[in-house]
Amino acid sequence: MLCKIAWGNVRRAGRDYLVYLLTLTLAVTVFYAFNTISIQVDLAGVAAENAGVGDLLGGIISGLTVFLAFVMGFLMVYANNFIMKRRKKEFGLYQVLGMSRGQVARIMALETLIVSGGALVLGVLLGIALSQLMVFFTASLFKTQIADFHFFFSVGAFMTTVGCLVAIFLVTLVFNLRVVARARVIDLMSAGRQNEVVHTRNPWVSAAVFAVGLAMIVVAYVRLLSDGLPYDGSPEGMTAFLITTATVVVGTILFFFGLSGFLLKALQSAHGLYWRGLNMVTLRQLAAKVNTVSFSMAMISMILFLAITAVTTGMSLASVMNESVERGTPVDYTATLIYFSPQSVDEMNADAASWDEPVRYAAADGPVDVMKAFEADTFMEGEREGEHFDLASIAGDYLQVDCYESTPRGATKPLIALDELCRRVDLPLPKGVDDSSAASMGLLVMSASSYNAYLAFRGMPQVDFGSDGYTVLSDMGEAVNKVYNAVLGEGLELELGGCTLRPVQDRVNEDASTFANSMMGMNSGIVVIPDDLLATLDLPPYNSYLLVDYADGVSVAEGDDYVAEPRLYGDITNAAGEVVAGHGVEATRTSTYESVDSMNGLISYLAIYIGFVLVVACAAILTIQQLSGVADAGRNYRILAELGTSKREISHSVLVQQSIFFVFPLAVGIAHSCVALSVIIELVTLFGGMSIGGTVGFTALIFVVAYGGYFLVTYLMSRGMVAEFVRTR
Amino acid sequence: MPLSHTPAHAAPSQTSSPARATSGKLPQTPASGGAVPVLEVRHIEKVYGSRQNVTRALNDVSFAVNQGEFVGIMGASGSGKSTLLNCVSTIDAVTSGEVLVGGVDVTRMKTAKLTRFRREQLGFIFQDSNLLDTLTARENIALPLTISRVPAKEVLRRVDEVAGRLGIRENLDKYPYQMSGGQQQRVAAARALVTDPTIIMADEPTGALDSKNARLLLESFEAMNERLSATVLMVTHDSFAASYTHRVLFIRDGRIFTELRRGAASRQEFFERIMQVVAMMGGEGSDAL
Repeated sequence: MLCKIAWGNVRRAGRDYLVYLLTLTLAVTVFYAFNTISIQVDLAGVAAENAGVGDLLGGIISGLTVFLAFVMGFLMVYANNFIMKRRKKEFGLYQVLGMSRGQVARIMALETLIVSGGALVLGVLLGIALSQLMVFFTASLFKTQIADFHFFFSVGAFMTTVGCLVAIFLVTLVFNLRVVARARVIDLMSAGRQNEVVHTRNPWVSAAVFAVGLAMIVVAYVRLLSDGLPYDGSPEGMTAFLITTATVVVGTILFFFGLSGFLLKALQSAHGLYWRGLNMVTLRQLAAKVNTVSFSMAMISMILFLAITAVTTGMSLASVMNESVERGTPVDYTATLIYFSPQSVDEMNADAASWDEPVRYAAADGPVDVMKAFEADTFMEGEREGEHFDLASIAGDYLQVDCYESTPRGATKPLIALDELCRRVDLPLPKGVDDSSAASMGLLVMSASSYNAYLAFRGMPQVDFGSDGYTVLSDMGEAVNKVYNAVLGEGLELELGGCTLRPVQDRVNEDASTFANSMMGMNSGIVVIPDDLLATLDLPPYNSYLLVDYADGVSVAEGDDYVAEPRLYGDITNAAGEVVAGHGVEATRTSTYESVDSMNGLISYLAIYIGFVLVVACAAILTIQQLSGVADAGRNYRILAELGTSKREISHSVLVQQSIFFVFPLAVGIAHSCVALSVIIELVTLFGGMSIGGTVGFTALIFVVAYGGYFLVTYLMSRGMVAEFVRTR
Repeated sequence: MPLSHTPAHAAPSQTSSPARATSGKLPQTPASGGAVPVLEVRHIEKVYGSRQNVTRALNDVSFAVNQGEFVGIMGASGSGKSTLLNCVSTIDAVTSGEVLVGGVDVTRMKTAKLTRFRREQLGFIFQDSNLLDTLTARENIALPLTISRVPAKEVLRRVDEVAGRLGIRENLDKYPYQMSGGQQQRVAAARALVTDPTIIMADEPTGALDSKNARLLLESFEAMNERLSATVLMVTHDSFAASYTHRVLFIRDGRIFTELRRGAASRQEFFERIMQVVAMMGGEGSDAL
């Protein structure tokens, strides 16, 4: 019997439950589909190239799912409250007819169960379909080929999804039972009959609140733009940032709190507009809802802001890597040695003294031959186990480039430092390095002959440095290069070792500044000076790059395999047998491309997942609020029709109201994002330019379609409801 | 109600004694005095339900209302009086017959035209005042005018004028929930009146009011009718309310049972005559009257 009532109720309250069902189904679909990521990654052939990416993604996504389930749980409780509010009288009636509270509670639990069950079945079916399709999407994100496609079902993803749904169901149930348990029959019965008390605030007060909110938002924008993000993590920076954040949050809430009052006041002062058609009805309806809705509008705009900012930043970083990867991979294979600095050697020796097999460290007198040094390495496993690493056997053209520190032996301060250069060209320190030790750290130094050898190796024209020429190399992007370009462009003279150097180039040649394969720029500044001068400065070596193209007879795959083979690194020693350097990063062009692809895929994946769920959650809240608002205003719309308003005009009024509810949070969210992004972009440019396009555009499209889709559904359903209210003959 | 019309057929025979009191029992003919009828109802029928289970809510009803007349329609619950008003006011569609307002047949109008017609020619007052709870009294009264795109200045002038006549000027900036039921009804009356409609339809306007507020509202109606020469058609089951009108049509089982004209009689005398008819109609109806 209770089942029958519950089932009947679900069917009767279909419209209310429809949005609930829709959103829950969508959530289940997305939860399931994204949680099959590890299987997808296998199928898409990503795992074959990047072992571990699937597990990493899978781990992050299941963690995220728990977080997003919380968001959805909150949303469902909210949606459900709306349904409950509208049905208080009905629950009162059951009790008047002699049903116990327990029985009423059971009816309600059954209703929730029916809807959740429906959402589970529908959602998992859709999720299974979506996950098959997503394999292709995954393959394109990670730029791989699908080796062996077959239908799949993930028990793990299914269990995760069911777990989340059960949690959501339980939370909703608890809230529902509370409604029944707390309510007195008399309140329930009179809930529908009570006169709608319109909480209106003095429009002047509302307008003032709106103005204060707007002012606070502007202040927060200005603060953020001038202070930037607290990169350094200093307490003052963090406090300032927290104040800015609090200001924008409070400002946003006040903005929405006063919005309708402000609109009302603004339009009321325009008599011709206010007393025209349904304008005053539209505005008053908006104003009447402001108490219940303004807070959630503010929250939604903040959530949209987070979603937009996170997604855009993530995907831009990904696209930055994509664009810089070509420039960042000049040769088939690169390796780096890093020399111990004179300052650190003593400390290392002190540590090493207690070891069983003491090792002597020393600062190198000069660069070592990297190719030779590698011969000390031995392969650890496979068919070559025990053999020495013979790079020469696969190398065709190769080149070693050495860099020196700019702090001479025995000195404490560098000869050339970034902060000093900034001061001399009157530019602020780039964001992200200000207030850090990086600023006072010296630039590196390279000899003109080394650099010209590099240029020859890359097939680029030579640069004549003469006896007093210099230039600066960097591939770290606009933020730092702005400074170097100013230095070169203004013809800044450098005093080094009694010699006055003048620039031989007027701007940084970024295409000829990369010495190691890497996803992003790694060279933050090298000054190239004449060989004769370098010899007089007594600078310790900093690092040596080895750039190798494979020999003609060696295929890329063979070469990559050879250098990727695990091996035991030999000590890099000087003539006295003292260790002078350690191994730095080794990278092949292929592996760099692959890591970019999988990093791209990873970021895009997460961005779309988080963004999509958040956007859908926001849109669903708005939809539920609007539909219930239309239902509450049904009587008003019927009166309007009786007074001779056409259905078209009423629908238009509803459309205007709903547009304001949907568009304003989005607009505010986008405005917040634009400001935040303009600050974040400064940070991102440290790693190379930032561009918004391509995948970001595609993602934006998906979000707009989802958000706009909810808007459309809301409006169409509202129009249907209005048609029902006003049906006269 | 099933198809058998026993009570309806019995009705004419019982009218013999009150017929002396009524001034005429020819509903088809326009009211005497050479006045122009603004509303003519010709042989309308309203049938609900399927073939097996037909309810005849209105059965061949005809009458006319003249310019400046204040007409009441009385009947018990379920007698068809509200259906009659709904059909006449174009809120409901008739099954057959014609309803002419200002000489135009509204039963054949298309929805869009009807909406406009309703807006321009009719004024409505309901049992619950049917004010928009989100609007102030002033805005509620202004609504029919703004919907018709009357210029703002003109809107405010006319609202003020009507409010002054009905004595509700001090309530203009209140919301419905801040006013008493009587005040709300007078705002609703002002809203009905503000467009200067051909005819005002009132459905149980005193139904939800106490006797003092009912009296105040009816006096407003009288004032509307006499001073602004508004034509009013009022449905009621309250003999006291009906006694304020010029003429009362009694509906029973979907037919016009009889008609009383007030003529030169005082309101008190007219009230007593109405009570007589009500008592005579008797049976199931009397307890509801």
